[in-house]
Amino acid sequence: MASPRYSLLRTLIPFDIYGGMKLTGKYFGKVLRQANRGLKRTHVVVEYPEVPTTLMPRFRGRLQMIKDEQGEVKCVCCMACEKICPTQVITIEKGKKEGRKTPFPIRYDFEMERCIFCEFCVESCGFDSIILNHQFELATYNREDFSHAMEGGFQNMFDPTPVSHYSVSSED
Amino acid sequence: MFKTEEMEINLGPQHPSTHGVLRVKLHLDGETITRCTPMIGYLHRGVEKICENKTFFQGQVWTDRTDYVASVSNNLGWAEGVEKLFGITVPRRAHYIRTMLTELNRITSHLLWLGTHALDIGAMTVFLYAFREREEILSIFEAFCGARLTTTAFRIGGLREDLPPGLEKLVRAFQARFLDCIDEYETLLTENRIWKKRTIGVALLNAEDAIALGVTGPVLRAAGSNYDIRKAFPYASYAEMDFEVATQTAADTYARYLVRLEEMRQAHRIINQCLDGLPEGPVMAKLPKVLKSEVNEVYHAIEAPKGELGYYFVGEKGGQNPYRMHIRAPSFINLQALSKMVVGRLLADVIAAIGTLDVVLGEVDR
Repeated sequence: MASPRYSLLRTLIPFDIYGGMKLTGKYFGKVLRQANRGLKRTHVVVEYPEVPTTLMPRFRGRLQMIKDEQGEVKCVCCMACEKICPTQVITIEKGKKEGRKTPFPIRYDFEMERCIFCEFCVESCGFDSIILNHQFELATYNREDFSHAMEGGFQNMFDPTPVSHYSVSSED
Repeated sequence: MFKTEEMEINLGPQHPSTHGVLRVKLHLDGETITRCTPMIGYLHRGVEKICENKTFFQGQVWTDRTDYVASVSNNLGWAEGVEKLFGITVPRRAHYIRTMLTELNRITSHLLWLGTHALDIGAMTVFLYAFREREEILSIFEAFCGARLTTTAFRIGGLREDLPPGLEKLVRAFQARFLDCIDEYETLLTENRIWKKRTIGVALLNAEDAIALGVTGPVLRAAGSNYDIRKAFPYASYAEMDFEVATQTAADTYARYLVRLEEMRQAHRIINQCLDGLPEGPVMAKLPKVLKSEVNEVYHAIEAPKGELGYYFVGEKGGQNPYRMHIRAPSFINLQALSKMVVGRLLADVIAAIGTLDVVLGEVDR
C-alpha cells in the first residue's frame, strides 16, 4: 500500500491521467511517424476492401467439389457427407455413368444459406472429393444464388463463386 | 398537485450496454432502483432440444453458438462430457493442446469483457488495445481450426489434426508481448480515478449470497472464495499445470476487474507451460465407427471464462444421440445476481453491474 503522503500527492497531481495520456500518445506518435513513409508498419488496421486479406491455410470457406486429373468427378456417392452434416444442406442422388465402375452422383446439391462451415463433410469424406475453399465473400442479392448444384443449377459446385461487384479478392 | 410515484423503465433489449438482447425491467424511485428483473429469452434457439436430435458428433457445432465469445471452452465441455459418457481416454498431447487453446480462449473472453465493460463505463481507449490482442488470438484459432469464432475446435476422442506448422511460433510471439499489454491496460485503468470512482463499492455481492445464488467464476472469486474447477476437479491437463487461483475479497466491480486481469496473467503462465511441456504422440484416440451409448448419465463441469460450465448428458441404450442434454450455462446463473447487486443503488450502477457479470446472451438464452 502507498504511504499517506504519497496518496495525498496522487490526489493533488493527476499521475493517472498523465500515464494514460502518455500511453495513448506513444501509439499515436508511432503511427503518425510511420504513416505513408514506406517504413515498416506496426499498426494493426487492415485496409481490407482495398487490400485483400491473407487467410490461414486451414480456413473454412465454401464447399467445392474436386475433379481428378481426367476431369472425372471424384465423388463416389458414399453419402458420408450427407449423413454427417449437422444442418443437412447436402443432397446426393446416386446413379450410373457409362464407362465408370464406381457410382456417379447424378445430383449433388448444396444449400449454402444454411451451411455453418463446420468442415464435418470434408472430414468424413474418404475420397478427398470435396474441400472447403478459401472464399468468404459469399453474399449475393438473390436467394437462389445460394443453391449450388453440379450442372444446371444456379451455381456450379466445381467452380468458385463468381466474384461479385463488391468483393475484391482474386479468384484463387 | 404534485405527487411522487415509482417509475418503470426498460433497459434494453436494444440498449448498447446490455451486450446483446437483454431486457432489464427497472422500478425507479427517483434515480434509486427499487426492483430489477432481467427479462430473457430473446435469443432462445432451443439448443438443448436440437442436440437431442443430433448425434454426439454433430452436436458440437451448437456449442459454438451458445457462448460465442468462448466457443473453445464450450467445445471442450461437450467433448469431455461425451468422452466421460463413453469412457474414452484422450491422448496426453491432445489434452495439452486443448488446455492451451482453452486458456487462449479465456484470454479472448476476458479481453472482450475488459474492452466492452470499460467502454460502458466510459473508458474508450482500452477497448481498442484489448481488441488488438484479441485479433491476434483469433488468428491463432483460424490457423488451428479454420474459423475465428465458431471454432468447432475439438473432436470426441481428441483433436481432428495436430497443430499446423508455424502455430507454435505464432503463440510464442503472442506470449512474448502479452504481459506488457496487460500492463498497458493497467496503466489506463487500475489507478485511473474515474475508473475507481465508478467501480469501487459498486455492485457488491458477498460470498454468502454468491454461493446461495449459485454464482461461479470471477464473480465468486472476487468475493473471497477460491473455488475454481481447474483446481477443485482438474480436467484436461490442469492437474499437471502450475498456476494460482486469482482471488480478491472486496466483492465489488473493481475486485472483479482485478481478478480477471490476474486470470489473464495465469492463463499466460499456463500457455507457456503447455508449449514447453508439449508431449509427442497421437492426438486422436481409437474410436468405434459409430458411438452407441448405454443407459447412463454424466455431468461434466469445466471452468469456462464466465464460471462453471456444465454439460449433462443422459444416454439411452443403443442411441446415437443424447436422450437428454442440458447445459449449465454460467451466464444464465450469474445473471440472477443482478437484482441482488443493484437494488438500492443508482441507475448508472446497473450498467456497471451488467458489465461486471460478463453475460453473453447467446449462453443465457441458449
